[in-house]
Order: sequence, then C-alpha cells, then structure tokens
Amino acid sequence: MASGIKDKVAIIGMGCTRFGERWDVGADGLMVEAFAEALADAGIERASIEAAWVGNALDDINVGNSALPAAHALRLQQVPVTRVENMCATGTEALRGAAYAVASGAVDFALAIGVEKLKDTGYGGLPLRTKGVQNDLWMPYGSAPGTFAQLAGAYAARHGIAAADLKRAMAHVSWKSHQNGAHSPKAHLRSAVDMDKILAAPMIADPLGIFDCCGVSDGAACAILTTPEIARSMGRANPVTIKAVQLSASNGWEMQFGEWDGASVPNTRAAAARAYAEAGIRDPRAEIDMTEVHDCFSITELVIMEDLGLSDEGRAPADILDGRYDKDGAIPCQLDGGLKCFGHPVGASGLRMAYEVYNQLQDRAGERQRGKVDLGLTHNLGGSPFNSVAAVAILGRLD
Amino acid sequence: MENAMQFGIAGIGGYLPLLRLDRGPAAKELAWSGLGLARSGYRTVADWDEDPLTMALEASRSLAGDPPQALRFVSTSAYFTDRAQSATLLEALALPPMVRSADHANSRRAGTTALLDALLAGSTEVIAAAEKRETQVGSAAHFAYGDGAAALRTGPDAAARLVGHACLTSDFIDRYTSREHPSPYPYEERFVRDTAVQQLLIPAIRAACAAAGIEPAAIAHAACAEPVGNSWKAAARALKCAAPNHCELLADAAGDLGAAHPLFGFGLALAAAQPGDRVLLLGFGSGCDALIFEVSRAVPGAAEMATLLGQGETIRQFTRFLSLTGAIGLDWGMRAEFEQKAQASVLARTGRDMIGFIGGRDSTGNVQFPKSAIPVNPVLDGPEVLEDVRLADKEATIVSITADRLNFSPDPPFDFGLVQFDNGARVLMEMVNRPAGGFKVGDRLRMRLRIKSSNARLGFRTYFWKAAPLLRPRLGEE
Repeated sequence: MASGIKDKVAIIGMGCTRFGERWDVGADGLMVEAFAEALADAGIERASIEAAWVGNALDDINVGNSALPAAHALRLQQVPVTRVENMCATGTEALRGAAYAVASGAVDFALAIGVEKLKDTGYGGLPLRTKGVQNDLWMPYGSAPGTFAQLAGAYAARHGIAAADLKRAMAHVSWKSHQNGAHSPKAHLRSAVDMDKILAAPMIADPLGIFDCCGVSDGAACAILTTPEIARSMGRANPVTIKAVQLSASNGWEMQFGEWDGASVPNTRAAAARAYAEAGIRDPRAEIDMTEVHDCFSITELVIMEDLGLSDEGRAPADILDGRYDKDGAIPCQLDGGLKCFGHPVGASGLRMAYEVYNQLQDRAGERQRGKVDLGLTHNLGGSPFNSVAAVAILGRLD
Repeated sequence: MENAMQFGIAGIGGYLPLLRLDRGPAAKELAWSGLGLARSGYRTVADWDEDPLTMALEASRSLAGDPPQALRFVSTSAYFTDRAQSATLLEALALPPMVRSADHANSRRAGTTALLDALLAGSTEVIAAAEKRETQVGSAAHFAYGDGAAALRTGPDAAARLVGHACLTSDFIDRYTSREHPSPYPYEERFVRDTAVQQLLIPAIRAACAAAGIEPAAIAHAACAEPVGNSWKAAARALKCAAPNHCELLADAAGDLGAAHPLFGFGLALAAAQPGDRVLLLGFGSGCDALIFEVSRAVPGAAEMATLLGQGETIRQFTRFLSLTGAIGLDWGMRAEFEQKAQASVLARTGRDMIGFIGGRDSTGNVQFPKSAIPVNPVLDGPEVLEDVRLADKEATIVSITADRLNFSPDPPFDFGLVQFDNGARVLMEMVNRPAGGFKVGDRLRMRLRIKSSNARLGFRTYFWKAAPLLRPRLGEE
C-alpha cells in the first residue's frame, strides 16, 4: 500500500503575477515576475533549483513547446526542466511533478511554474484547429462554455430543479466571486456586479450568460518545493506542506458508455476521494476550511460542490443561495475571486489556486484573510465534463 | 426493350432541406431594384453543411437496404471534380465495395438518362440525383432554384413499368454554367420556350407515346422538367394532353431542383397516379429524355415524397438566406479562423466507419462509437475485435445539450451534446434542424449525413453524421 505524499513536501516559496490583459509583458516576463516573488519568499538563490516542471496548456499559440521557454526565461543553468500539459489542469500537474520529485528524494529543491500568454493570440476559449486527425473526422468541437453548459440541463434533469431556480444559484456563484475578486489586488476583474445584471446578461451557451463564464487571462504562478526537514532547517518551524495531490483522467467512459447522466464530473469525485484518503480527511465538510475550485463556469462550481462532497446530492443550489460558500460562509470558495475574477491563464490556474491557499494558511491574505485556516483544497479541471482531467490538491501546515 | 419491359421502378425517395424561402416577402426585399423576381411559392434552402452528396444520401437511404448492382450519383453541382461522389455515397450507404458506381453530370437531364440506361439494361440500380447550385443574387435563378434530391431504385417486379421512351440529343442552349461562369446564364425566355417546345418536347413526347402505343392524351400525370415556365402548358396544348405537370408544382413549392427535378416530380406524379395510369417522365437539358411508365400499384416511397413539400421552416431573415446561398459573405471575425486538414491515410483507415457511421459491438453486446482496440465497456479489460453496427439508421436520445453561441458556425447557434443510442452507443454529436424551442434533454433524434468540416483554402470537405429531430414542422405552422 502506497503511503502517499502527505507531509513529504513543503512549499517554501510562491509567486503569482497580476492576472489580466498583460499587454505590457510577454510569457517570459510573466514567468520572471512570478519566479522572482517565489525566490524572495523562499529565501533561496536561483541556482538552488535542481529540477523544474513548467505547465503551459496552449503551447502552440503562445508560450511555445518544450522546456525551453521556461529554461530560457528563468535562465535555469542546465537544469532538468519538464514541460507538462493537461488542459486546464496543467498548473496542478506541474505541482504534482515537482512534488513527486522532492518526495522521491531525487532533488532537494524543485520548481513548479505555470504560465499562459493568451491575450496576444485572440484566444477566447474556442476550440483549436485540431484534436487529432482521427477525432477531426467525427468529434464536434464546441467552445469551452458550450461543453460545460451541458452540465446545467443534465443537472436540472437529474434533480428535477426548475431552470430558473438553477440559473439563480448559478448567478449567485458569479456574484460571490465578483464580490471576492474586488479585494484581490492581482485579480483580472476587480469589480462587484449585482445579481440582476448577471441574470440579464447575453447568452453565451444556453443557459450560461456572459457572467456565468470566466474569461482567459495572461499570467503566471509558481511554487518552490523542498522537504519539510530542509524547510525546518531554513527556519520554517511549521511549514506549509502538501497533504495530498491527486489526478483522475477520463478513459472515454463518460463520452462513449451509456451510464453517466451528465450531471456531475466523475473524475472530480475520484480525485477527491483519493485526495481525502491521502490526506487522512474523513469529514471534508468539517475539516476543509476553504476551497479554490475550477469555476470556469458558474454551473461547474455548483456541481463541484457536490462532487467534492461539500454539498449533499441535489443540495448545491440551496447551499449556494444560503451563502455556505460565500467569504463568510461555512466553507468559503474562491476567496481570491477564482477563475471567474482572478482570471484564467490556463496553465497557471492550478498554481494560482495553491497560491491563495498558501497565503491563507500563513495568515498572509490581507483583507481577504479568512481567520485561521488549517486545510485548504484546490480543484483544477481540464477538458469538458464528458472528457476531463480533474486534479485535487490539499494543503495544510506540517503540525 | 423486352428486357426493360420486365423492369421498372421498385422504389423512389426524395429529400428537401428543412429551410424555405417565402418568395413573396423576399421579392419585396429587392423591390427597389426593379428586377422581375418570382413572388409566389417557396424555394428550399440547404443548410450550410448540406451539399449534393449529403442530400443524395438522404434521398437514397431508404432504397439501398439490399445492395443494388450499381449506384449512380447525378448532379450538375457536385463539390468534387476529381473524386467520385458515387464512391463516397456508396460508403455512406454502407454498401459493399463490389457494387458498381458512376457519377453523372453536366446536364440537368443526367438523372433521366441514367435511369433509362438502368431500365434498358435490366440492371437493379439506385440512381440518386441532387443539387445545390450556385446562383447570383438578383437573378431569377436565385429565387427559382431550390436545393434537394431524388432517388430511384430500378428492379424486377416493379410497381411502375417503362412502356415507351424516346431521346433527343441537341446542343440547344437554354442556359449554361461553366468553370468561368458557375452561376447560370439564361438565354431569352421566349426563344427558349418556343424552340424547346417545338423542336424537343413535342417530338420526344410523341415518339415516346408511339413507342408505348398510346396517344399523348392518355398520359394521366406528367413530370416534365421545363426549360422555362409554361413550356409544359404549350406542349400539352399541342399534344391535346390534359395531364398536370408535377414538376411545375414542385418548382412552385420547392424550386427547380436541376438534375433532381424530373425525378422528384416523378415521385409526386407517382404519388398521385392510380393503377393503370400512364405517367410521363421528361428530363430536359442538351436535348430531352421522354419516358412513359405504366403504374400497376403504389410505388414505395412516392407518398412520402408528396408529404415533404408541406414540411419545413420559413427563413425569417432575408440576409440569412443570402448568407446560406453564398450571396453574401459575412466577416465572422477571428472565431472563424478555424481550419482542419483531412489526411488521406486517416480516411483510408477509418473513413468507412466514419461516413457509414459504423460502431462496434463488444463481446457483452454493448455498442460503442468509434471502435477501439480495448472496448470502453468497463467490465472488459483486454483487446477484442468489435462487430460492425451501423448507427446511421438508429434513433437516439439527448443526454446533454447546449446552444453554443460563442463557437463559430456559419448558421448559429452551434447545437451539440451527448447522444445516447438504445443499443448502448453514446456519441458526442452536433445537432441540426433546431426546433423552435431549441433542443432539450430527452428529445428523440434521427441521424443525418452532413458536412463535418470544410476547408475552403484546400478545397476539401469531410462528412459525418449529425442528429436531427424525428419530425419536422408543417410549413407555415412552425
């Protein structure tokens, strides 16, 4: 029986750029900005980095493929750099690679960095040219909102909820994230929006209006990892550690086999179950203090609350409307504004989530600080509800 | 002739696109120009993802259950000029590769010519004719033409037998299209009518009737493709024939379907005919083919063709009609910068399963699409060879759905979702023929062949199946 990764890896430094329309800087500059903050936070030199994982989802239209863009940008001297890509779950995938390297004892210091520079490309969540020459022959390539919008109808059908009631709960998700984003200095969107405006917004993919959708952003985020022992030797008495990092990928079952009803994301459930087991969490509702989840669309966050076991089946709309996931609710979600407002530079998002939890754990979140936070969860979802990669990470303190 | 007399029409089928242009309101949009455009009736308008191949498939799919000896594709507007559409059609119909096939083109008469050849040869064949012709906005043809398809199956024990025929070949030019003039160039209407009626229609019909041993007055129903309006009336007056021309009715209700027009009109004539009736089928273009049939019983498929005329959805925006017919090109912005390149090696490997919509049945009986080395069924854990199962003719149900307004579509929104077949197969599919209230979870669907991707720069198309509602609205009540 594998012992898992719990408390085998400490995070000693993190950095995150301001997300948004960064006309002022390229992908290399974004990486440098995040990396400089992380190095200063960790208190180590660049030369201490022994291995790096760089996450970038849409390499062919912005950053470029392979390890080289990151190695060049950060001037990493003949360090093993691995480029990873798992759609929107790429950021957590980079964290997972670096964490496993440290946990295995292969290296003492590893870097995980995610970056995306989309605003130069006109990319707006639309399908790219091809998903492989064989898939091109049959697979419809809808937009990202188009794929996630389908959760709504299926969810309503499963639970017998009226479309208008579901839409109101979805709108609350976005309303809450705008409220929170207004207090995030590095967020892409920093203005509160009222419910009526959200509900009346133009339709993007039925029933998702424009405020039900996150946009895409430019940005980078990174983490420097080491062992808890080294972290302590560096003066961190109770370092932030990784309690779990798990990932689950579709094998075609949802899309090709006739069992799934389309109203949940099975990979989130699988990754969460494994993460809870790895972290030793028995009652996530009681033990998780905050979450940063993949709210690419409002309906996604609503469904995630059930997939993570934080709401009972069919109860997420009511829990959301009751304020359970608001900043002052029982389990606040997206304290930094989430994908919806902090922004979504695809390959960086998983690490941006970790950045918020990392700061909350250390009481460094400023006006967003949620009191004492012992355990925070990040959930990063790539692909579509019917063909996904879900990643769940849980961060806490060593003691 | 003896051999042909034993043969006849074993079945007939037709297809019209859902969308219709109401000519009256459309003519008002161009009234300022002073152009004399037709104001009565409707014309059919193909979706952006329909072309002669997809419509020929729809018209012939009910006729190809048993493999014929030959499959013939007929069109003057086929997309490919060096890629036989009959071969693509054969694979779309999942027919065996040993079935002979041929393309027929370059004349609106090509369909009746192919039919006559099959009848004279005593050959069991499926002949599918379809058109989606380019026309210039403002031209009479832009309103007069329609998009659609018709198909026939020849065979023994026929419900309608060929009893006489005559062909006249003439380089008479009533209109033409060419590589350098792809929209029709029509010549003066009275010249065309007078000459065609006197020199082609009347002599050919007289000769065909003589061959059948009947007077023209004995023709009960006609399907006469006219070079210009009122040609049949002029010919019929001279021939003392009172038969209604079903091609004229078709032109008013759906438009002139080109090479498919006489065959579709023939279906309407057969639907109206009684046992014992003689029916004239006349194809026109570079001469004419006149075929006289004797009907002994209802021809399978004819009644269904008659119902197609009354089903459809009226296009409410004139500019949408202009866009769908290529008369205007909207700047769709960056979203439309989406280009795929199909690879011949991939088409050679998997193309038959794609265009035939053939999935695979695993050892437990579950069906999946596409096939895979290791089945998707979670109870199976190793590679196995899957048995072919065609999904094209199966109904299915929507599991999840959205109307995507962000994604590029030439005719938005882009409806797509997960579709569940009763045999277990589940496929992510694009939807077509959006109903008035949109698609909903639980809606039942049928499969339609459509263009999957179109690469204008490389001049290539791929085809796949999309899902449509089971029923269409009645025209005017949609």
